[in-house]
Amino acid sequence: MLEVALRKRLGDFQLDATFAAPGGLITLFGPSGSGKSLTLQTIAGTIEPDEGRISLDGQPIFDSSSGLNLPAQKRRVGYVPQHYALFPHLSVADNIGFGLARLARETRRQRVAELLRNFDLEALAERRPRQLSGGQQQRVALARALAVQPGLLLLDEPFAALDAALRGALRQELAQVQKRWNISMLIVTHDLSDVYALGQRVIVYDDGRVIQQGTRDEVFFHPTSQRVAEFVQTGNILPAVVERVDGETLWLKWCGQLLAADARPLAIGTPVYVCIRPTQILIVRPDRFAARERQNLLRGSIVHTDMQAETYTLHLRLDNSTAAYDLEIVLPGYVYHRLALQTTPNLVVELSREHLHVIPG
Amino acid sequence: MPNHGRRHSRFWPLAGRSILWRVPALVAVVFLILPLLAIFLKVLPQGHLWHTLQEPFVTQALRTSLITSLSSLALTAAFGTPLAYALARRRVPGATLLDTLLDLPMMLPPTVAGVALLMTFGRRGLLGPWLEALGIQVVFTMVAVVLAQSFVSMPLYVRSAQAGFRGVDPELERVAYTLGYSGIRTFLRVTVPLAFPALLSGAVMAWARALGEFGATIMFAGNLTGRTQTMPLAIYIAMESDLTTALVLATLLIIVPFGCLFATRFFARRRNYGTYA
Repeated sequence: MLEVALRKRLGDFQLDATFAAPGGLITLFGPSGSGKSLTLQTIAGTIEPDEGRISLDGQPIFDSSSGLNLPAQKRRVGYVPQHYALFPHLSVADNIGFGLARLARETRRQRVAELLRNFDLEALAERRPRQLSGGQQQRVALARALAVQPGLLLLDEPFAALDAALRGALRQELAQVQKRWNISMLIVTHDLSDVYALGQRVIVYDDGRVIQQGTRDEVFFHPTSQRVAEFVQTGNILPAVVERVDGETLWLKWCGQLLAADARPLAIGTPVYVCIRPTQILIVRPDRFAARERQNLLRGSIVHTDMQAETYTLHLRLDNSTAAYDLEIVLPGYVYHRLALQTTPNLVVELSREHLHVIPG
Repeated sequence: MPNHGRRHSRFWPLAGRSILWRVPALVAVVFLILPLLAIFLKVLPQGHLWHTLQEPFVTQALRTSLITSLSSLALTAAFGTPLAYALARRRVPGATLLDTLLDLPMMLPPTVAGVALLMTFGRRGLLGPWLEALGIQVVFTMVAVVLAQSFVSMPLYVRSAQAGFRGVDPELERVAYTLGYSGIRTFLRVTVPLAFPALLSGAVMAWARALGEFGATIMFAGNLTGRTQTMPLAIYIAMESDLTTALVLATLLIIVPFGCLFATRFFARRRNYGTYA
């Protein structure tokens, strides 16, 4: 359990962040310059907040009200910076054993050997960091930090410097290490893929503040503000107005269409944003119109198709609309071809009610 | 930076092939090296070099130079290292001003340095009354030699050390803190080893500068044989009476610093860990 409430002024920048997260994988997500790394430094103990309180598993490590400020050396918080910051003048084994200097020589040697084995680094024990690949460097950095048995591991943009192919593999490896060592990790990232792959718990930052926190699915599918919806690339953030409320159904007017969503206590005339992710929009085959009761059917035509390796992104302009396009749809390539969309640009889509997420504007 | 040279060589030969480039460059090299060569060519034919080296006049100057230059090197390292680190990490208020001021002793004419030191430690200097009350005389002692040498050579060391410390990623130090290392242990186990080539070459440059210090020494410490007469001062005196002695001392002052500088450069190149990220 990590509880953080802190303020820190740095020049013109004001960090004012409050969040709490149970253990496991926690990601601090937000654009660069939003205060994520600064938060990490204050938890590591290398930067002192102006005021606030930080506690780890119930134990306060910083508390301005009682003047408590445990030095970084005593916090039992591991730190893995961007680029890993391995000590270039030491071998892999000496890097890993660096935090174990106070142990007896033999005990230390055994612990290092154990870690080398655990992280599959035995063959590289005598290498220097510059002779290692990016993945090997990550393993050394993790082993070095875990050697001193910290209560929390902080990782600052761990994959930012790597190429895309390696990134996926290292995410998996990191998740495995987290599970095997049963250690809480706080990962700073501005990459949405990191959040999706690793964020059991997501803290969203914007301009020095936490603007949403919750489980990954809450943040991805139920953003509480337009800003978060943009950060998580919701794709379709449709400005609408509450038309009427009718029992279980909230009727929203968007683009001359009425959309039905689950009822929420909103007054008529309230401006809202209707969110639906591009992969959640269903394309309705003409022969299946009557298969079940359908709501929120919209007619339009494809104005642009963007083909990626596995998925296609379609831009759909509704009939009677003058916008460049109104909806973004992402679907697997094979679906695109099975529906023969290249020859049938006019289609009907369904914004199914359970996927519509309404944010008060 | 293994391809540093290659990257430049693509551009440099075009200009470098031109006679307009080659002739002035050659003139510069000859001008810088010929005088040094002249000393060797003059001193080598003389038969009694070894004998000259053992003259009391020479051995005393050698002894004075060694004691004072090594003492000033010790002072420089002891006080200059913390300053260089603080400057490198920008933990000093007014760092830019201080940076510029630091370069000044290197640019000053040595005579100005001599006057400045006299006005500080001399009998009529700023600290004069206090030193006198304590019964300490600085001027015309070996201490004065050490102070004069430190004054002109410490900036060289601080500059080099500062650049070395700046090249050490602060993230490495932060990691060491989180692994339980105190500030001082981190400095000794991480920062110093990584900045070592720069510290060493700074120390050698400072030492060579101290060894060669003349103007400030003669003004501030005088020219007392066996006490403040260092090798450069002895050369100055010997030139009036015994050219061979002057040449022998001059040769030593060329060979020893050159050897040290060359050795440290060679060492520093071998000890380049490179970047790995």
